Amino acid sequence: MSDNPYQDDKGNKDASITNTHGVGTMTPAHRKSGETHRVEGGPFLIGDTMTGGYGKGPDILHDCTIAVDKGEIAVIVGPNGAGKSTAMKAVFGMLDVRQGSVRLDGEDITNLSPQDRVQRGMGFVPQTSNIFTSMTVEENLEMGAFIRRDDFSDTMEQVYDLFPILRDKRNQAAGELSGGQRQQVAVGRALMTQPKVLMLDEPTAGVSPIVMDELFDRIIEVSRTGLPILMVEQNARQALEIADKGYVLVQGRNAYTGTGKELLADPEVRKSFLGG
Amino acid sequence: MTETVKNTLLFVVVGSLILLTGFTQSWNTAILILNMGLISAIMSIGVNLQWGFAGLFNVGVMGFVALGGLAVVLVSTPPTPGAWSAGGFGVILALLLGAATVVAAVMVAQRMPKGRVQTFTIIGILIVGFFVYRAIFDPNIAAIEAIDPAVAGNIGGLNLPVLIAWPAGGLLAAGAAWLIGKTALGLRSDYLAIATLGIAEIIIAIMKNEDWLARGVKNVYGIPRPAPVVGYEVELQQDPSFIARAEWFGLDPVTASTLSVKLGYSLLFVIVLLALLWMAQMALKSPWGRMMRAIRDNEVAAEAMGKDVTRRHLQIFVLGSAICGIAGAMMTTLDGQLTPGTYNPLRFTFLVWVMVIVGGSGNNFGAVLGAFLIWFLWVQVEPIGLWLMNLITAGMPDGSALKSHLIDSAAHMRLFTMGLILLIVLRFSPRGLIPEK
Amino acid sequence: MDFLNALVALSNFVLVPAIAYGSQLALGALGVTLIYGILRFSNFAHGDTMAFGAMIAVLVTWGLQAAGVSFGPLPTALLALPFAILGCIVLVLITDRLVYRFYREQKAKPVILVIVSMGVMFIMNGLVRFIIGPDDQRFSDGARFIVSARDFKAMTGLREGLAIKTSQGITVIVAVVAVALLFWFLNKTRTGKSMRAYSDNEDLALLSGINPERVVMITWIIVAALATTAGVLYGLDKSFKPFVYFQLLLPIFASAIVGGLGNPIGAIAGGFIIAFSEVTITYAWKKVLTYVAPESLEPSGLVQFLSTDYKFAVSFVILLIVLLFKPTGLFKGKAV
Repeated sequence: MSDNPYQDDKGNKDASITNTHGVGTMTPAHRKSGETHRVEGGPFLIGDTMTGGYGKGPDILHDCTIAVDKGEIAVIVGPNGAGKSTAMKAVFGMLDVRQGSVRLDGEDITNLSPQDRVQRGMGFVPQTSNIFTSMTVEENLEMGAFIRRDDFSDTMEQVYDLFPILRDKRNQAAGELSGGQRQQVAVGRALMTQPKVLMLDEPTAGVSPIVMDELFDRIIEVSRTGLPILMVEQNARQALEIADKGYVLVQGRNAYTGTGKELLADPEVRKSFLGG
Repeated sequence: MTETVKNTLLFVVVGSLILLTGFTQSWNTAILILNMGLISAIMSIGVNLQWGFAGLFNVGVMGFVALGGLAVVLVSTPPTPGAWSAGGFGVILALLLGAATVVAAVMVAQRMPKGRVQTFTIIGILIVGFFVYRAIFDPNIAAIEAIDPAVAGNIGGLNLPVLIAWPAGGLLAAGAAWLIGKTALGLRSDYLAIATLGIAEIIIAIMKNEDWLARGVKNVYGIPRPAPVVGYEVELQQDPSFIARAEWFGLDPVTASTLSVKLGYSLLFVIVLLALLWMAQMALKSPWGRMMRAIRDNEVAAEAMGKDVTRRHLQIFVLGSAICGIAGAMMTTLDGQLTPGTYNPLRFTFLVWVMVIVGGSGNNFGAVLGAFLIWFLWVQVEPIGLWLMNLITAGMPDGSALKSHLIDSAAHMRLFTMGLILLIVLRFSPRGLIPEK
Repeated sequence: MDFLNALVALSNFVLVPAIAYGSQLALGALGVTLIYGILRFSNFAHGDTMAFGAMIAVLVTWGLQAAGVSFGPLPTALLALPFAILGCIVLVLITDRLVYRFYREQKAKPVILVIVSMGVMFIMNGLVRFIIGPDDQRFSDGARFIVSARDFKAMTGLREGLAIKTSQGITVIVAVVAVALLFWFLNKTRTGKSMRAYSDNEDLALLSGINPERVVMITWIIVAALATTAGVLYGLDKSFKPFVYFQLLLPIFASAIVGGLGNPIGAIAGGFIIAFSEVTITYAWKKVLTYVAPESLEPSGLVQFLSTDYKFAVSFVILLIVLLFKPTGLFKGKAV
């Protein structure tokens, strides 16, 4: 039973009266945005010494810091359950940050709702359910540009140039595509807002090694345009190879921080997380 | 204030409301409210078992209640002379053949390899079976319906004591529930709500149209009473000892006899309610009840532990529907007649839902309380509405169209009020008046 | 000739009524399916929403008739339809604001919303009975037939006549226009696409900057328009009686589920499947068969499979058969 009586469905799964498809599961820390204020200096995007957890639950993150600067790729790696995705969600406003702050482009946005963070230029690609499966590829991209009132055909062309396969499949339902192609749609959708920073939650989860390499190539390509990329990755070695900055998290804390190369070279990191 | 005190107080309040009706309106009305309240409480226990304890969404309560009523006619009324020899056995044969057709089709569907041959075999069996069924069925029902159509025209009953009809009503409802549950819960996803909505309409359609069964919309009157607990007014009025007792209470024999008859029903209903309530409470405290709640709260975990969830759901669905059937049989006995035309889903399905939700789904006592409270309001909203309308329209000139419209419409305040109560409780006290512990 | 007569009889008694009824069911089922796809619950108050919309149309029609306004050969109710739609929109938006919105904020489970819709059903039902009473109301006027049976016989010289009621013709035309508009809106406009996106994936829609409250509001507006249209067309074709609208809930739900809940194309297909099965199975085929069958095989009875009172049973059995073989409905459900 749930604590909220309105969420107590008594285990009813009657398909003739209730529809569970696509139900929202997001638990934003702030449904309505609070105040923001200017803070000079620091990296372009930083989650600074964040401590917090979901709702009224216990702290999952402890003084965790994650940052990315223009033109960089920052990668969060760590063992299962280390709080990698949680850290990224905290930056995106889906976790109650009780201490520390999140700053974007010289502004403290700790109290903003996730939607308003999108408006401020954060592009977020969730790990799962990150495309509109019943809509065509092109419609997915259009929905990505929903907040834009200007002509976004240029941006769409750029996305098609970046992911040519999507141009061929533009009128196909996104749900019919392969795993790698779906991830391209997901990233493309996020790029349509012309974000100032792109956040990817395990973009290579569940795709074959070949597709993974290709996806990484695309991500590097995106990053060359100057767009900062913050990424959570399961495949630590490959991810650190392309990373300018790496964060190894263990149990919600920063265990190791450095450039990708440094971490790859660090014997402790190699031993514990990269399998020697 | 402890929970027990609060709950007792709630019952006392509802009890006083009914007593107040007795003092201010009439004892006849008060006991009528009590009797239908008792029957509603039994229906509520049934729906609460399904929804409160298993999360099963039954919107076909009306159908099971009606089946209970049908059982009363089939069990307790005298058989129509000559009906069985005229066509009764033929009808039974036709129904058996019909059932055999469906069983054969289902068996072909399960046993034969899938493909075009199978499809055609099934269709063939169904078509041939249907025409054979109709060929035997039609002349036989025509024969039955021809017997004295003004007062009979139906197969009649078994002439057994009416109290036997109550469990029989439960059994009939259970049988229908098993069929519908087996089908709807067995599908890949659960489609119980629409299935129950449909089956209820079909049951009512059958009862309205199959005149040979229980006279359809011509209604069955004069259903025997559960004597000797419930007597007949005329007999009581001629009984000297009864007249003496009535005088002692300071009542005239006519009033006393109607009250006595109604109180007789109350006594029987209280016994049934207490028995069912006790059984429901015991069942829920038993390992079976704990398992049911475990399934409700986490079906995946229960399934992983090897519980057959569909089977358990079917069990509780059949049980809950059987209780509704018993209540339906009791109601038809109380009415002394079966009138299929009066079964209305708003009254017999959705109102019971209001009772369960308002009382507290998942708590048997809550369901009982909700039933009494909502039934009391259902009866009393109409006079209150009329009073209110008279008050509102007091300043309007007599004969104004608006005034007469408003006064005429007061009767429809009932549905509106029930909806309002449901929404208010759902919003401000979503677990109901007596929440699940 | 006999064959032609059979065909005409078939059209007259089965095809034309079924097409009209199917259109009405389809419009009703579209409303149910939209609510199911976007608000994610089955709206038990839908029949009563139809009744409310139709009631306003009846009242406005009476007003227009009293003022001497008419629409030539067409029923005055068509002039009243826009007002009725507006009135119904106002009602559902108020209901959403006062009732449903709270549960969205609470992230209530869909089944709770189903129970809430029961309460709304009671209230709307009471409201309609309170305003117009529970009785039958006739409000159709204008020419009764596009083609009457007598004219048709005179024109063709056939023994069988084909009658097409004005209400049937209007039903089909209005339904086609309404469905075309709806599909254009859902597939071609930015707002329509945002509704589909919200139905498909609520979280991602939120991340894309789609405002859920706006999506919900537009859904209610469309649903109110569809429900009113369906209600008025049904009332013109048969008659207006509040309880009948409540009872339409079953065939409408059956249509939506047969087609695949949440799928608009499915809702339309489902509406016609249910309507055609109901009409064919409860029609007495004697007339058609006497023309086609050889004399020796001429049927003695009415050749009616089931009495018309069992039309609910038909929708139900069709529903069961479809669910047994295609558990998600004929068209894959759950995506607007």
